[in-house]
Amino acid sequence: MNKLIELKNLTKNFEDQQVLRGIDLNVYENEFLTLLGPSGCGKTTTLRIIAGFEEADSGQVLFDGKDISALPPYKRPVNTVFQKYALFPHMNVFDNIAFGLNIRKADKQEIRRKVEAMLALVGLEGFGSRDVTLLSGGQQQRVAIARALVNEPKVLLLDEPLGALDARIRKQMQMELKKIQREVGITFIYVTHDQEEALSMSDTVVVMNEGMIQQIGSPTDIYNEPENRFVASFIGESNIVEATMIEDYLVGFDGCRFECVDRGFGEMEPVEVVLRPEDLDIVDPENARIRGTVRQVTFKGVHYEILVETDIRTYMIHTTDYTEIGKHVGLDFGPEDIHVMWPMGSY
Amino acid sequence: MKKSKKLFSKCYILICFLFFYLPILVTVIFSFNSSKSLTRFTGFSMRWYAELFRNSEVASAVYVSVTIAVLATVISTVLGTITAIGLSRSRKLLKEYLLNVNNIPILNPEIVTAISLMLLFSSFGMTKGYLTMLLAHIAFCTPYVITSVYPKVRGLDPNLANAAMDLGATPAQALTKVVIPIIRPGIYAGALLAFTMSFDDFVISYFVSGNGVKNISIVVYNMTKRINPTINALSTVVIAVIILVLLAMRLLPKLRRGKNSRRPGNRALAWAVAAICLCAVCLTLPKGMGQAGEKPSLKIYNAGEYIDPDLIGLFEDMYDCTVIYETFESNEMMYTKLSGGETYDILIPSDYMIERLIREEALAPIDWSLIPNSEYLMPEVTDRSYDPGNVYSVPYFWGTVGILYDTSVVDEKDLKAGWEILRDDAYAGNVYMYDSERDAFMVALKALGYSMNTTDEQQIQEAFDWLTDQRDTMAPIYAGDDVIDNMVSGNKALAVVYSGDAAYIMSENPDMAYFTPEEGTNIWYDAMVMTKDCANTRLAHEFMNFMLDPENALANTEFVGYTSTVSPAFEEMRSGTYKGIDAYVPDVDNSNNEIFAYQEAKVKKIYAELWTKVKAK
Repeated sequence: MNKLIELKNLTKNFEDQQVLRGIDLNVYENEFLTLLGPSGCGKTTTLRIIAGFEEADSGQVLFDGKDISALPPYKRPVNTVFQKYALFPHMNVFDNIAFGLNIRKADKQEIRRKVEAMLALVGLEGFGSRDVTLLSGGQQQRVAIARALVNEPKVLLLDEPLGALDARIRKQMQMELKKIQREVGITFIYVTHDQEEALSMSDTVVVMNEGMIQQIGSPTDIYNEPENRFVASFIGESNIVEATMIEDYLVGFDGCRFECVDRGFGEMEPVEVVLRPEDLDIVDPENARIRGTVRQVTFKGVHYEILVETDIRTYMIHTTDYTEIGKHVGLDFGPEDIHVMWPMGSY
Repeated sequence: MKKSKKLFSKCYILICFLFFYLPILVTVIFSFNSSKSLTRFTGFSMRWYAELFRNSEVASAVYVSVTIAVLATVISTVLGTITAIGLSRSRKLLKEYLLNVNNIPILNPEIVTAISLMLLFSSFGMTKGYLTMLLAHIAFCTPYVITSVYPKVRGLDPNLANAAMDLGATPAQALTKVVIPIIRPGIYAGALLAFTMSFDDFVISYFVSGNGVKNISIVVYNMTKRINPTINALSTVVIAVIILVLLAMRLLPKLRRGKNSRRPGNRALAWAVAAICLCAVCLTLPKGMGQAGEKPSLKIYNAGEYIDPDLIGLFEDMYDCTVIYETFESNEMMYTKLSGGETYDILIPSDYMIERLIREEALAPIDWSLIPNSEYLMPEVTDRSYDPGNVYSVPYFWGTVGILYDTSVVDEKDLKAGWEILRDDAYAGNVYMYDSERDAFMVALKALGYSMNTTDEQQIQEAFDWLTDQRDTMAPIYAGDDVIDNMVSGNKALAVVYSGDAAYIMSENPDMAYFTPEEGTNIWYDAMVMTKDCANTRLAHEFMNFMLDPENALANTEFVGYTSTVSPAFEEMRSGTYKGIDAYVPDVDNSNNEIFAYQEAKVKKIYAELWTKVKAK
């Protein structure tokens, strides 16, 4: 795959707040890349620097190997879908979508053809003469996407585009976005704070926090192999336990030693261990080395969320089997369920 | 129950609208009156409209009002819109401060803004005229535009402009194709406000304008001095213009929406506006240049409606010069404007004001050898107490103050009472007093047999008691120039009036007669004087000589109605137009008559306070 966009050591301050502290990132052709992180992590700022609405204090934005840092937004080969759509309220659907083509003074027939094609792509055939302010949120979203895509950008930037939609339409739009991306075959850079959205749509997820990239990887990597406590706790729910790496493939916590699949951390090093709640099984206490009492059971639809209190901490377990409160239980997991990572603040 | 409620609410609305629109309706109706009266409708005619369009002063005022309003609207709308957009992007604290500061000019009393602007222009040494008026209008219109545009801009998604640029629009295109169309209703509202504010502004225009540049409001204000129904015609035209502008503002957006909101309409409108502006500017330039031309100029400051305007044109043609003619409402207002740093070549104030200006060394002496027509001056008007030997002043008009009475109501025998007839209870509720502190006290002091220039507090107090007694027993109406029209209509039996006004009223209503009591009255003189700043003294002398020419003096006295100081003109009027109207002939033989002397501030204050008390109840 070809490298399309390259961010080199971007930094940005707003007044005296450091928003970006050195972002390095490669974006490839046809990739669906998601910038994921809590609000204030710098993901939107990064997107706006790529679009040209903000200027980085230092660092470079390369597009196809050429530095575009100094180009104004209207000269960049990217288009944006905005958080609240930013449709032009004084124009109808057709004119909104045709805006970019009209600015470029494209041929009238061509404009009509392209806009109709876009309306078909986003499933809004026949909506051309509608007033955009009277459309539903989902429909406005589709217009915004069509308005950006009709210009045939090499990269589409999407700034939390589904944030304003309700949960059901949101799910549906996620699938449609993915479909559209496959159909037009261009790069999407997608910003969201919703980890589920990021995992289900992306080829690559970039987890950000406090102006720094925490981890770059495929959704499965990010979920299964979080590189630090932040990623582990931000992506899904986790039991994070302070531990000691005794030697390769052997880690100790809660007064026991467990076999694991991790190595290369050295000997007797302080580390942290991630145990995903769905990887823990509730067993007979006699067959387990970690034991405790069920304190809380919450029905979550597909599974129960069970909190088990041991002498040292409380574990969260996701299981489809019901267990009653107050029962003495044991917790069991295999070596491959243990994920060892460096503790926060020690790189 | 419900029905009566509905009826009530309908009546309520009807009454409200009547209250708002009745005055306007009256103005419009009387603009078509065939006679000069403002209170009696005598028949339909377009006479005053014809007169209006013949009047070059009105024509140039309409031109000034319209071009200033259009230019000020366009410029302040552009400035205000840009400011509002800029404000919406600035930091919150700055925004709040600026918005509050923006409110100050709106809440400020207009008179304060007017005087501040006048002083500002004076301190920059700017010549007052078209440019200063335009700048002032832009200054007071812009805050209104900002206030009406800002809320629209604030409601905008800040990403709209970004979205436009993202789609390939340059910042300028983003502004014109996205931001401005969306905030257009706010811009229209601001422009409409600016236009109406500018078009009917009087107070600020009055103070910042000069050199003969007048807008409609100033001209109308000057016209009210003497009753003249062309005001009605002019007001009707103004009302029509405002209604048209309002309709256009309401209908234009609808028309455009009807055309499916596509480009051509927008563009046509933009071009039309641009064309109008360009025309306005083009029309303005030659006029401004003409004024700055090579011709010598003379700047004259006179009371309103106090000259035959044809004479000005005639003088300009004869001497190939430009006359910049401005008018004032009262001697005091003239003095204020002089103190404000305004300069004129010739002033035409009254006796006591001339006395004051001589004392303050503000005047230049007259070279009588340059005024050969002075041989025609009546001996009765020269060498008076305000300027012994006429070192500084050339008499212009003169007259007395007396009592106008309706011969069909007032018994001739009662006139023997002199000024005391104004306290005769046979005429209670049937009297107009002149609403001016010096004239009112003159009546009382003369009735008591004192000098009208007295500084004796005891005598002043007695005069005050006379006036309060008259107020309580006679319930007189204290009136200004509206007395003229009311007496023409014969609304009351007695009125204290100036002789020139009396002559005019008598010529319109033969039932009226005029007399000056034996106890004496105010005999007054208005005269032309030359200021120390006068640059072209030769031309100034030529003008004064021109006004004393018997033919010109006759035209002037015929137009104005006041008594001429030029002997042949005086005789001609007395035996011609005003034959038998004794008000035209001031009674000079009565040794009890006096001329107003300049009052020291301390004395003036006593009179002013007592006069306020008289009118307070």
